[in-house]
Amino acid sequence: MSEMSKIVRSISNLLLPFILIYGFYIILHGHLTPGGGFQGGAVVASGLVMVLVAYGSERFASWVKEKHLSVLESIGALGFISLAFLGLSTAFFYNFLAGKGGLFGDIPPEGSNPGALNTAGTLPLMNLAVGLKVIAGLASIVLVMGLASHYFKQGGENDT
Amino acid sequence: MSKRDLVGVISLLILVGFLGLGAASMREFGVVDRAYMDDYIISHSQDEVGANNAVTSVVFDYRGFDTLGEATILFAAVVGVIVIFRREVHE
Amino acid sequence: MDLLSLVHIILPLLIVVAAGFAVLLRDLISCTIALAAMSLLLSLEFYILHAPDVAIAEAGVGACITTAIIILAISMTKREEDER
Repeated sequence: MSEMSKIVRSISNLLLPFILIYGFYIILHGHLTPGGGFQGGAVVASGLVMVLVAYGSERFASWVKEKHLSVLESIGALGFISLAFLGLSTAFFYNFLAGKGGLFGDIPPEGSNPGALNTAGTLPLMNLAVGLKVIAGLASIVLVMGLASHYFKQGGENDT
Repeated sequence: MSKRDLVGVISLLILVGFLGLGAASMREFGVVDRAYMDDYIISHSQDEVGANNAVTSVVFDYRGFDTLGEATILFAAVVGVIVIFRREVHE
Repeated sequence: MDLLSLVHIILPLLIVVAAGFAVLLRDLISCTIALAAMSLLLSLEFYILHAPDVAIAEAGVGACITTAIIILAISMTKREEDER
């Protein structure tokens, strides 16, 4: 997909930081406010896809390599599964950090309260892992399809 | 009206009939008939998991297997797209 | 009838209207924009039904990434639908 006009590129430059901050806010506050790993990851990936559509897939591929996105996605998946396995002494997906103090170990007071970030055990880490996985997965899907669309548009048939 | 159109109209009517039948026997909007699990999660999730957001504590703790399946589906989708399109990407 | 129940009636009708535009329009880019508008209205409907999680996911995936993928697919072929 080729580059769009200067107006579209400027507006996407202007909007990208706000979309990224909103998406990472949704990921990191997943245990306090509505949202979580999948939702925030979808928001961040839509920001990256906006940049991809505005600048064209070739220039975007020179900034973000598809190989690195695959590595990030595998890191997210492995982190999620290994966090699930770490609680295996009691049960699979057991929340082994909750209520122990330390990092993410506090218990919030009963009932409605504004909440603290330092609660909920393994939930923020799992949110982060799933968010990383969704960001890398959706961005790499659109990136690979964009590169292939450039190829098909040229009408080339030269297989490797 | 040709024969093919007639078959389409009849099957659509049957589908609409069954959907209407199902919608007529639904319960009242927003009313649950069995709420044991809901009550348990609402009253215990803040103590057991420590998260204020009960939806996240269900998704990542009580029903973690569902999230694992969702992650697997996303992984399979990414692998499928890359397998189809990658040969054209790197000449 | 209060305002919220009026919104509950109007918003599904707007969703159906947007879906009809997505089917009926000739220009495929316009169809995609109508589909994105349908997705955004659907996420608003999820929000007023008290499901903000689903609303955020629908707005991110349905209104942005699906639109981008369909536009990439249109750019591989041609823009106008065939006359029959």
